[in-house]
Amino acid sequence: MTRHADQDASFIAEALPAFVSEAKEQVASIEQLLLELEDAPDDRERLDALFRCAHTVKGSAGIFGLDRVVAFTHHVETLLDRMREGRVALTPALGTLLLECNDEIRALVEQAPDAPEGEDDRARRAALIESLQAAGGDAPARGERAGNAVAPGAAAAGASRDGGAGPGTGSDAAPGTARWQLRVGFGPDTFRNGLDPLAVLAYLRGLGPIPRIACDAGAVPPIDALDPETCHLGFALALDTDAGRDAIEAAFSFVREDCTLEIDGPASSGDVSTARPGEAGPARAGAPEASASAAGPTTADGSATTAAATATSADASPRPDAAAATAPAPASTRGARGRDAAEETRFIRVQADRLDAVINLLGELVIAAAGASMLARQTRHGALVEANHAVSGLIEEIRNSTLQLRMVPIGETFSRFRRVVRDTAAELGKDVALELVGTETELDKSVVERIADPLMHVVRNALDHGLETPEARIAAGKPPQGRLVLAACHEGGSIVIRIDDDGRGIQRDRVLQRAWDRGLLERGVVPPDARVLALIFEPGFSTAEKVTNLSGRGVGMDVVRRNIESLRGSVTLSSEPGRGSRIEIRLPLTLAIIDGFLVGAGLSRFVFPLESVVEVVEGAGADANVDARGRGTVALRGRVLPVVDLRVLYGLDGPSAERSSVVVVQAGAERFGVRVDQLLGQHQTVIKPLGRMFRSLRGMSGSTILGNGEVALIFDPVGLGQLAAGAPIHRSRRDADRAHAPSPLEGQPT
Amino acid sequence: MSAFPPLPAELTIYAVTELRERWLAALDAAPPDGPVELDAAAVVEVDAAGLQLLVALSRRLGADGRALRLAAPSGRLREACAALGLAAMLDPADRPEEIPA
Repeated sequence: MTRHADQDASFIAEALPAFVSEAKEQVASIEQLLLELEDAPDDRERLDALFRCAHTVKGSAGIFGLDRVVAFTHHVETLLDRMREGRVALTPALGTLLLECNDEIRALVEQAPDAPEGEDDRARRAALIESLQAAGGDAPARGERAGNAVAPGAAAAGASRDGGAGPGTGSDAAPGTARWQLRVGFGPDTFRNGLDPLAVLAYLRGLGPIPRIACDAGAVPPIDALDPETCHLGFALALDTDAGRDAIEAAFSFVREDCTLEIDGPASSGDVSTARPGEAGPARAGAPEASASAAGPTTADGSATTAAATATSADASPRPDAAAATAPAPASTRGARGRDAAEETRFIRVQADRLDAVINLLGELVIAAAGASMLARQTRHGALVEANHAVSGLIEEIRNSTLQLRMVPIGETFSRFRRVVRDTAAELGKDVALELVGTETELDKSVVERIADPLMHVVRNALDHGLETPEARIAAGKPPQGRLVLAACHEGGSIVIRIDDDGRGIQRDRVLQRAWDRGLLERGVVPPDARVLALIFEPGFSTAEKVTNLSGRGVGMDVVRRNIESLRGSVTLSSEPGRGSRIEIRLPLTLAIIDGFLVGAGLSRFVFPLESVVEVVEGAGADANVDARGRGTVALRGRVLPVVDLRVLYGLDGPSAERSSVVVVQAGAERFGVRVDQLLGQHQTVIKPLGRMFRSLRGMSGSTILGNGEVALIFDPVGLGQLAAGAPIHRSRRDADRAHAPSPLEGQPT
Repeated sequence: MSAFPPLPAELTIYAVTELRERWLAALDAAPPDGPVELDAAAVVEVDAAGLQLLVALSRRLGADGRALRLAAPSGRLREACAALGLAAMLDPADRPEEIPA
């Protein structure tokens, strides 16, 4: 197709990234909807939404001149339209085809518009298009000759129209719908912009039946005077719908700039009969049948309408949308659609790096404010301290709401796995139901982005190694369908993600055998159960008896652990042989700022994440018995707690405190005490990542700059807990030693 | 019989320019009167640009008092015509009764 030379290239270049990101969202929705439809194939709303997504991608790709996207998506849209008309049913095979096509659309969208294209790509796309056409029932029509029976598709179409609102039976429009009169003239550049009035009308039919449509053929010049790529089409049509004016206008959103559109209406379904005479002849533009007096809020005339109106008022009330309120309100069961539109307008798209810049600045502001507060306190000037306090309070609020901006529900990440589970399970000949729990749990976008890969690995591992084939499951007395649960929840300032399967679980003896074979453990040494399972996270460990192309060659779990730990998170594994496994990933909600509890040991300052501090026992330090490595126990209200001494653990200098205290910290399910010299109180802390040199420092997750310019290290409670619990275990290999009972200072430069 | 080739499988914006040339040539070559019949059985893909071209051809023929007939239109073409209110374009015998225009 020829493109307009005068298209503003710079506008396109600027807007293209937004298109790509939006199109990717649409593609993601398409995938979701397809997968959901497989479970509920008759869900009309989802089917409509699916069609709208494809339509949107095609429409906006047309505006950007992405011809490949337009041409390909068109075929997908066509098939979806058929599904919507009930002529093609969604079979698993068709679902697979559509998912593949969706992948193709995604690839095309990501491709630069003028990227060269290999023969392979073109052939693959042609094959997909052929499959789409075959699935849509097009292919047989190709060879059909005159006099033959009407194509099955057309016959069905006739039938469906009979069932719908045929002409002369306008009164059979469903109660609650209203008849709108539309006149539309498509602009001359419509075709050149990659838009197809046919698709617009198909979309419009998604709102309700079009009992009558007339093309203004007189506007089309004779063929010898026609530029065939210029659009001269105009239509007058009637639409029976329960949608509002804004929804109808939305159907024309892609062509709106370039077309004339008049919308009259609606007459209520009850009034249609009075307008009937007009229906006998073809509608002519400029002759609206509905009398002007009929335009207005539908009057309740009959119990059906009343019922519909009641239904509407329930879902219309939470809509302060002015457009919806002022438009004549045809009784609507499409509240969801209206809400969608309203929600769209409440979102603004912001570039992630702009937001990050604000958050960084805010971090500096928090530090500066802490400094100012400290100085204010030193002046002992009451009013100044008070003013500073107020400023700090406001800053905290800004901080909270700004971080909130970056919070996204984890559901989006989770739902990506529907596809993974579906495809992987099929490939492995397994039957697996995926369950998502707590999808509304929010966490920082930067964390979400980096958790997807480790999660993927864990899920694949569960599918590959954990869950059995249906035969094996039946033999084990379990239901043939395996269960995989992805769950998320908030727990004490962290987000916890659990991946549960009800598969065969992990056989400890095999893990142990492998660890011995690999020299991860001295042969014959049998560590406690929890430690055996933790061996799976060791580098170079794999129990897969046959290497599959899915979870690879044992490069898996150690990478997962490394990735998660680099997010200041932790991962643990528990398993019951024959019953299943659980992997628990614990992550901080945000990587930027935490509320901390500041303590001193020797001359150094440390920060505990406030959520992890259970209690502070002043002066209890003297009760603790600590060995030469800084580990010991303390009795607290009759219970024995493991305790670490920071001074000894990190070899800190400085005069010993007269009174040391114990901070009781919660790390996962464990509690332990930390002996510190001074308690310095609550402190809002901006996390600065540790430099590379300090990365292997155990028990630390970051650093921060205090108001007075001092640096404090921030604890990672789980890591510190491991140090606290770390009874010395003798190992033959340094590697293993490093993983389980390391010297905390090994990363420290000398 | 007219000198018009059968309608191609793809009656879309991608084909209209070439199709127009062919039809103009066919108009020159065709007998100057009588209806023109297009074999429309093969149409798989159709869009509004393709239909507009048919309308334009029909307009040109209509100026000479001639009719355009689409013989054995494929299901897809029927639907498209119906959707655009162009069912009258179809051969009257094939016109789905329930779609007036």
